[in-house]
Amino acid sequence: MAGPFARGSVLRWLLVPVVLVPLGWLLFTGLGSDPRNLPSPLVGKPIPVFAGTTLEGDRFSSADLAGKPAVINFWASYCIPSCVDEHPVLLDLVARHGDEVQLVGVLVNDTPDGARGFLDRYGQVSWPTMLNPDGGISIDYGVTGPPETFFVDADGVVVSRHIGPLTRALVDEGLASLGIAP
Amino acid sequence: MIPTLGHIAVLIGLAATLFAAGAFVIGGRSGDLAVLASARRAMYAAFAMVAIACLAMIVSLLAHDFSVVYVARNNATTTPPFYSVISLWAALEGSILFWTLLATGWASLVLYRYRARLPALMPWVGATLALGAAFFFAVMAWPSDPFVRVTPIGLEGNGPNALLQNHPFMGLHPPLLYLGYTGMAIPFAFGMAALITRRTDEEWLAVVRRWTLVPWILLTAGIVAGAWWSYAVLGWGGYWAWDPVENAALLPWLTATAFIHSSMVAERRGTLRIWTHALVIATFTLTLVGTFLTRSGVVNSVHAFTTSGIGAWFAWAILLTLGVALGLLIWRLPDLGDRRPPGAVVSRESAFLFNNVLFLAITFAILFGTLYPVVVEAATGARASVGAPWFNRVNAPIFVALLFLTGVGPALPWGGASWMTVRERFAIPILAGVGVVVAAWALGVRDAAPLGIFGLATFVLVVMGDEVVRGARSRARTRGEAPPVALLRLATRNRRRYGGYLAHVGICVMSVAIAVSATLGTDRTATLRPGEALSLGAYTITYDQLVTEPLASDPRVIETRAELTLAGPQSGRIATALRDYPNSATAIATPVVRTAIGEDLYVTLLAYNPSTSTATIRVLINPLVMWIWAGGAIVALGALFAIWPDRRRMAVEAALAGA
Repeated sequence: MAGPFARGSVLRWLLVPVVLVPLGWLLFTGLGSDPRNLPSPLVGKPIPVFAGTTLEGDRFSSADLAGKPAVINFWASYCIPSCVDEHPVLLDLVARHGDEVQLVGVLVNDTPDGARGFLDRYGQVSWPTMLNPDGGISIDYGVTGPPETFFVDADGVVVSRHIGPLTRALVDEGLASLGIAP
Repeated sequence: MIPTLGHIAVLIGLAATLFAAGAFVIGGRSGDLAVLASARRAMYAAFAMVAIACLAMIVSLLAHDFSVVYVARNNATTTPPFYSVISLWAALEGSILFWTLLATGWASLVLYRYRARLPALMPWVGATLALGAAFFFAVMAWPSDPFVRVTPIGLEGNGPNALLQNHPFMGLHPPLLYLGYTGMAIPFAFGMAALITRRTDEEWLAVVRRWTLVPWILLTAGIVAGAWWSYAVLGWGGYWAWDPVENAALLPWLTATAFIHSSMVAERRGTLRIWTHALVIATFTLTLVGTFLTRSGVVNSVHAFTTSGIGAWFAWAILLTLGVALGLLIWRLPDLGDRRPPGAVVSRESAFLFNNVLFLAITFAILFGTLYPVVVEAATGARASVGAPWFNRVNAPIFVALLFLTGVGPALPWGGASWMTVRERFAIPILAGVGVVVAAWALGVRDAAPLGIFGLATFVLVVMGDEVVRGARSRARTRGEAPPVALLRLATRNRRRYGGYLAHVGICVMSVAIAVSATLGTDRTATLRPGEALSLGAYTITYDQLVTEPLASDPRVIETRAELTLAGPQSGRIATALRDYPNSATAIATPVVRTAIGEDLYVTLLAYNPSTSTATIRVLINPLVMWIWAGGAIVALGALFAIWPDRRRMAVEAALAGA
């Protein structure tokens, strides 16, 4: 064989890096991105309004969130282990920043009894939990499944959305986007 | 106890495959038969170990053992046993376990079948397969351990993915697809062994052709079954959306199909040999890339699995595989020169060459469309997506050209064709194709896509029909056989050729069905009150009532169904439902599909309002859809016919082995 692929030609070995280097770059940069950080059409827009009854039987609505940054957390008692893992993170969030941010839970496809059983088992909470009986709030927020969390600024605008359980690092990142120092 | 057993089995499997890889290399170099036998047995042991691990997982799922994270995430106390068992492949960790079972199963089968044959190649085939299996065991030992435990133990689990438990087809489609994927490691292993031992002659090609066709048939069936599942379950009335997961299955299928064609040229004419090796490498690498893309979360998808370290493992595996395989190929390039000068432009070889170029073009187009969002995000940070219209527009012309070649290739002789031959072979088929297009036009078909496909499919079918009739007639004349006997003997004496023809018939059937169903269907959506009716074509659908009740098989699932009365070419009472699963925020549709030879009636419930009892119903008439599945079955049958063991050839092989 003649040409650049002849025996002994060093040139032909160039093929290996020519194929591998761009492919490797592509695969590894892709890995760095977080697929759970999905774009939501809601980011940058005012939150969809909601109103209803909480687990304690009180009335609560999105108007009660006005003037203070908020974290809206969609969860369910059947969501094991994600919501179980996330629960202490939320308790810690309120213990550290309860004065600066309002946390509100929203049940996804769950019964009040199921939710109460979950809280009895994994720890009672100080923040309200919306019952969301017909799933209307989940639909308005485009929730794919529990747990899912929206960070909302003091003007009621969605700043970021996270799918999957929160960790302390993710909470601090979300709060930082609301201008709250961890 | 049982999950721990599964975990230990995985670790023993890892050790066994690593031992096998080392022993195969040592045995391959020294030729020590005892060492090679122990390597083979270590692979059988690895298969047994992963079978134990799978069994441990299935028992944990059936027992609803929520101390295992995988079970807690993918099972609930109310999950029916069938769906508990198939939850083995419901999520990442379990599907890797299942994948390893199939991969070691294939490896054991090949090593057993060839235990006394191909003594020069087999140690290296074994070493390659053992290393591949070791990788999957290592993934299960570290980043994607299926037996991770959790405390405190939940009383109830999340339940399987709602889509997984909505249709029994989920028990069939993933195993077929995985069997196809994992089987593609065999041609790759033979390709590597041929390069290592410099035995790149026709011997390895004959073996590899057969061992590519087996997983190819399964991959074909898996892809068609997946399209069928998507059609019967997702309620959108379509069957293919160019989703990254779908593309991941199609990419290795395309390169494997190209290989099946190019290997014929390599075997027959001794040309295209470098190319054929490259296709084997590409096919295997694409199965890894497909798994990586769909399982690492690199491609943006709500269904992406993430937070496991599996992505980096796969990325390294892909780079290593490709680096070693390409390096080996380049090192052996001087052995792979063409043995004969290339044929004439108008010859069967060049038809095969064009066929391969087109298959490669489709592969690149789909790979590009799938990876484009990843590239854009890596370069600019912005999120982008490539939609189905782009894929359709780019691939349709290439596909039309491929269909044309399907007719041209088999009719051209090897080496070169004279103008006389061309005119003699193609005049009637071209006239027939044009005639069908004119007839369809006269009957009222105006869309370019179905018209073009009708003409091409007729052309292809007539070319092949002419060929078969000519062969059968000459056999009947020279041997004095009755025409049907002559036809049968002709086909069974040359299974590869006529099996290939049958596969091409299947492709023609599928092409016509896809073109017609994509362009000539109709649909209507209406919101009805009880007693109101909706008409589409010859059908009238009356909405009777809305019923909401828990599912008998799993009371946690609430089904709301619209009961309908259907009148027209098909009639009766039907019910289409939306099901609310406790672990899914969106309701899952349960469309009604009434299938007939000419058209499917597809009825799905889009929304309902319980307070007014209104229901929004979508009705589609999808012509010829059942012929897509039938065409897929014909393709698979054709390939099966081609590889069916030939009694005469087996007798010859036995005689040679005994000599």
